[in-house]
Amino acid sequence: MSKPVPLSKLDEKEFIVPANSACQGCAGSIVARIVSKIIGKDMVRQEVACCGPAFGNITQPVFYGEVFEGAGAMMTGFARAFNKLGRDDIRVTGIIGDGGTIDIGFQGLSASAERNEDMLWVCYDNEAYMNTGGQRSSATTKYAETTTTPVGEFSRGKKERKKPLPILVGVHRVPYMATASVAYPEDFIGKLQYAKPVKGFRFIQVSAPCPTGWRFDPMYSVKVAKDMVLSGLWPLYEVVEGGLRITYKPKELKPVKDVLRSQGRFRHITDEEVDEIQADVDGFWARLLEKDGGPLF
Amino acid sequence: MAKFEVMVGNKAVAYAAKLARVKFVSAFPITPQTTIVQYLAEMMANGELDADYVNMEGELSCQSSAMTAATTVRSFTATSGPGLLYMHHPMHMTTWARLPLVMAVVHRSTKGMQPDHMDALSQRDTGWLMFECQNSQELLDTGIMSFKIAEDERVRLPTIFMGDGYILSYTSEPVEIPAQEEVDAFLPPYKRPYPMFPEEAEEAMKLMSQMWNPFVDPQNVWKQQQEAAMNAKTVIKEVSSEFEKWFGRSYGNGLVEEYKCENVDAALVAMGTIASTAKTAIDQLQRDGKKVGLVAIKSFKPFPDDDFQRIGAEVKALGVIDRNVSTGTLGGITFTELRHSLYDLDERPVTLNFHAGLRGKEVRVEDLKRMAEKTLKAARGEKVTPLVEWA
Repeated sequence: MSKPVPLSKLDEKEFIVPANSACQGCAGSIVARIVSKIIGKDMVRQEVACCGPAFGNITQPVFYGEVFEGAGAMMTGFARAFNKLGRDDIRVTGIIGDGGTIDIGFQGLSASAERNEDMLWVCYDNEAYMNTGGQRSSATTKYAETTTTPVGEFSRGKKERKKPLPILVGVHRVPYMATASVAYPEDFIGKLQYAKPVKGFRFIQVSAPCPTGWRFDPMYSVKVAKDMVLSGLWPLYEVVEGGLRITYKPKELKPVKDVLRSQGRFRHITDEEVDEIQADVDGFWARLLEKDGGPLF
Repeated sequence: MAKFEVMVGNKAVAYAAKLARVKFVSAFPITPQTTIVQYLAEMMANGELDADYVNMEGELSCQSSAMTAATTVRSFTATSGPGLLYMHHPMHMTTWARLPLVMAVVHRSTKGMQPDHMDALSQRDTGWLMFECQNSQELLDTGIMSFKIAEDERVRLPTIFMGDGYILSYTSEPVEIPAQEEVDAFLPPYKRPYPMFPEEAEEAMKLMSQMWNPFVDPQNVWKQQQEAAMNAKTVIKEVSSEFEKWFGRSYGNGLVEEYKCENVDAALVAMGTIASTAKTAIDQLQRDGKKVGLVAIKSFKPFPDDDFQRIGAEVKALGVIDRNVSTGTLGGITFTELRHSLYDLDERPVTLNFHAGLRGKEVRVEDLKRMAEKTLKAARGEKVTPLVEWA
């Protein structure tokens, strides 16, 4: 990542106009604001079905694709056509939800990464299909209650682990891959600034807690995001051409217990289940520390 | 200078894209389309074609990437059968965005490898224009015309030009390749249909609110699409006659091709290679003094209603051959569309229907002669049954 320009030194111009129809406390809106501010006037944006239309009040040209699964292919078409006309100054940028990235959009994501298409794919990860009312996605954390994994006598919420997408993208050996969080805007901005001029496939997955779907007070969106980073639930790192670097290292990880319990979607979770997630988080963090500064694989 | 070459139908399709100077090609293999994108890849490798060629990971992505590329440059893709079905979703998006993308479809059944028209006709209501071809020359020529029709301001709809798999795709015929300079003069360079560049942001926003604002009238998108498709009838005729002036070839008026229809009592109606086989049947029957002609449907969408009303008023019976079936409805798809066209006539001809050639079932000259005889019998006022038969 580049050395982040402090927020106070950034150009004041905003490319997102005030007021939108997103929920209160929407962290996705924060992602859209930061991305549009950094990519700015060079941006042509791709959107697919997601909460995006709610905070899509960005003034740069956009192609809204009904084609939920098509983000990778549609951005490929734009990037190739612009480059063919000699307009390689245009930054084709996708602000895409986790479903359109990790589930239905995964084929196009992997294929675009493999072809090293000239695009910046920003996934705002709210860990479920929030625009349709919070259904489980493969980005949902284990045991989380969603509208399609309700908790009841015979169900403990989502049964499976969250898909480790950043690693999957990283092993494609793309020019740039990073995780980011709305709670660490300078880290996110530094990553965007690094990724912006790079040619080829760039991917940033941003943790964007959803107060509506995760069931917490909208005033705590950034706090929840911060706690996820501090507890190791959402580590911040980047992979440049296969080399991994942790970009923010908490001295000591906070226990995940309180972070999970602060969200209504984990209200039912037992101590054993917390321990299971804690072990997962500890294991992953230990492996990251091991790989830090070296190759991802 | 135009030159002749013996080539298979798929190569003729590749030549159409090359002569149209496409700038974006998305490729994915599927039999019997595959060699089209292979020929284009060869043309790129030899430096004969300057385009961006991308090997996509599936047909849905082929269609989606060609769609967005068409906002900026002339784009092309090709597919067959199941591949076309996989494109269905973004095909609706392409018409919604009114992007003049051109695609070649090499017919392959949706239930087997051999040809029938179910692949393309399953896309009937996506809003794409659809032009059928009977031979390799027609594929090349129709390909070039398709770009001009699709890109016309009055139309601006994505367009399919299509031909039967195997029968055309892998069969060699002599084909005249028009000179590049003449094609350039006939087909002007691509005009970007939308402001999509970052510096055009304001213009883009204004246009979006005009074209797609659901708060004005949610039905507008469909209404405008329908108007454009109806406008296309005029444009197709214009482009067809202009093409004839430049290159000396035409396929009827661009909508229908009437073959030996002067003073006939009856006519067969067919689409694609069945129509070209039917020409032989009509030749033989007319030699025997039988007054039966042939109408080949050249444009399936827009459907040539006006032409069929005119033809319907002149003959006593029409025998419609459908290489398709719309299960649950009596008769094939062109049969029902054609009967709809004839409904307002004061005196309607008798219409008979034959399902033929599905899943590549062979349709021979003798079969077509029998269908023509049955239609003639109906034209004489004799009772014939069944109305719809599986030939």
